[in-house]
Amino acid sequence: MKIEDVVCTFCGCLCDDLVVEVENNRVCSVENGCTLANEKFMRDHRLKNPIRRDGNGWKAVSYDEAIRETAEILLDADRPLLYGWSGTHGEAQSVGVHLAELIGGVIDNTSTVCHGPSIMAIQEVGHPGCTLGQVKNRADVIVYWGANPIDAHPRHMSRYTTYADGFFIENAFRDRKVIVADVRQTESSAIADEFLKIDRGGDYAALSALRAIVRGKGDLIPSRVAGVTREQLFRVAEICMKAKFGAIFFGLGLTMSPGKYKNIRNAIELTQELNRHTKFTISPMRGHWNVYGSNEVFTWITGYPYAIDFARGIAFYNPGETTSVDILMRGECDACLVVASDPGAHFPRACAEHLARIPTVQIDPHVNATTHLATLQIPVAVTGIDAEGTAYRMDGVPIRARKLFTGSYPNDQEILEKIFARVKEAKRS
Amino acid sequence: MRVTLKTRARAKPRIPIEAETIIPQNFLQKNDVRVYEGNKERKLEDIFFITIEGPAVSPDQVEIVLTGDTGVIKRVGEYMNAGRIIVEGDIGMHCGNFMSAGEIIIRGNADSWLGREMRGGLIRCEGNAAHYCGAGYRGEKRGMRGGTLEVLGNAGDFTAEYLCSGEVHIHGNCGDLPGVEMRGGVLTIGGDCTRPCGNMTGGTCRIFGAAHQFLPTFRRNGTEDVEYNGKRCRMAAFRGDVANRGKGTVLVRED
Ligand code: SF4
Repeated sequence: MKIEDVVCTFCGCLCDDLVVEVENNRVCSVENGCTLANEKFMRDHRLKNPIRRDGNGWKAVSYDEAIRETAEILLDADRPLLYGWSGTHGEAQSVGVHLAELIGGVIDNTSTVCHGPSIMAIQEVGHPGCTLGQVKNRADVIVYWGANPIDAHPRHMSRYTTYADGFFIENAFRDRKVIVADVRQTESSAIADEFLKIDRGGDYAALSALRAIVRGKGDLIPSRVAGVTREQLFRVAEICMKAKFGAIFFGLGLTMSPGKYKNIRNAIELTQELNRHTKFTISPMRGHWNVYGSNEVFTWITGYPYAIDFARGIAFYNPGETTSVDILMRGECDACLVVASDPGAHFPRACAEHLARIPTVQIDPHVNATTHLATLQIPVAVTGIDAEGTAYRMDGVPIRARKLFTGSYPNDQEILEKIFARVKEAKRS
Repeated sequence: MRVTLKTRARAKPRIPIEAETIIPQNFLQKNDVRVYEGNKERKLEDIFFITIEGPAVSPDQVEIVLTGDTGVIKRVGEYMNAGRIIVEGDIGMHCGNFMSAGEIIIRGNADSWLGREMRGGLIRCEGNAAHYCGAGYRGEKRGMRGGTLEVLGNAGDFTAEYLCSGEVHIHGNCGDLPGVEMRGGVLTIGGDCTRPCGNMTGGTCRIFGAAHQFLPTFRRNGTEDVEYNGKRCRMAAFRGDVANRGKGTVLVRED
């Protein structure tokens, strides 16, 4: 059976034009997807049942047993951490927040290691953003700063920017100017009209210099700023100021380089400055398919987008203090529930070591690096394949991920609701 | 009155303790003082051995001495408005948050957000301070608003972020972006730092070591002579940050 308009639940582009063929509860072909999408749909090797660590090996356990044990671990903890959430749908994320509140834990999502700094900057100076549809139809200047979409978001350029014709942009490839700023040459920089090759850690200075030029204070800019010549900085500033509609997209090259959220703040303030001359917007290139959703869900329930500490019964937010990496590095938490993410693969070694020391439960369909640190793993359905739910695209547009077939696995939401019910019952008694 | 709080051994010593209740005014009236250990509320005596010596009729006559494993105790001195706190060792995050008067002396190191948004009084840290020393809370547009914060050792990144008023003096080195978004007050750095005062709109920053990766958006504005540690120093003066309004002053030692 061929299913059209399937949503790809891999990266933040959330492409919703895939055609997927399903037979006997297996995906057998994918059209329109990029390589990442093909891998996601076609190589879906799941863990068959919940497993519990047993000496040096693993023992199969029932779902009921795994749920009971997870509830007990969380109830026993004085500082539990609930981490992940970006690879599941909004309805499950919502149960996660309520669970964190109930147990007085810290709940954090993967923004903590990707675009958390972007949110912190937005909290300081706002977000002059727009939807990807606006960019596709209007933008004649595109800036990718610290981002390499060809590798990380392979269809971003073909659906929204360089190769996507729009309502006011008839021949995108010819009519759109592309500027790439990065510390190294990438496939994306190879197709740029201007490539700003910035010295490592020099983004803040380059952005400050561009702001000064746009403000008409370019006279004090020296001959080189962070490896970029004065002439090129003036040229880029002019391209931006002459644009009819410009769009900056930034990635982890900016959020995770020295200065972190101050880099993003500087980029936002450059955007605001450019808006004195023309229309300019700025947007983060979100990675996980529903990381934006986790920020939305956490915010609408608690007021904060990530790193929320319920230890005192109220929501407290302070990245650097209540963020997972910091909590794990300091060895603070005494239990961890990982949902739909793989900190074992992405976190510093000291964090992984602490996860291995404490009871760690993972809810995830696949065996991954975190499995090797966990005490217990509960496999679930994959949203977008055998589970459905709400996701938010990188520009904040909600999209419903579809279920392609009904499989045998429960979904994240069902498992979390059962854990929540057990914890609530235990607290009541 | 002298209140000595000595930490007891705990089963999970890395779980932070939130202790904003440890301020002089709370010990004056024999209040039932409680703190949080992770998500559990505890009586003060569950966490500390408590000794109280002598009388006091006002908070400024109360001196609290913290000893033992105090490096994970957060928020000590929050909203303090009189009296004295002496920490014999290290202290956890947010020590002296919003304090308006009184004195905190830390003999060891201080964790991040030391003197966050303090309004008055004195904090003196004899060791090193971590990140965001004398800074503001997330999203807050004003950091420290008054008082004096002195660190005899080094300080981490984002020291005195959003400094509005008062004085921050780091005798050693600072990390990255000290005085970022500074709007007023005086920041003095005895040693080196990186990228000082990005996006500053006001105030004065004095750097007596090297300012690495100095931002290109500061305009040279002659020289000034400044007295520091009993010596006269010739300072290069800059106005900036012109990426923003550019009304701040940065002085960097030249000789
Ligand atoms: S660009 Fe992203 S969302 Fe689109 S098909 Fe590729 S992996 Fe999926």
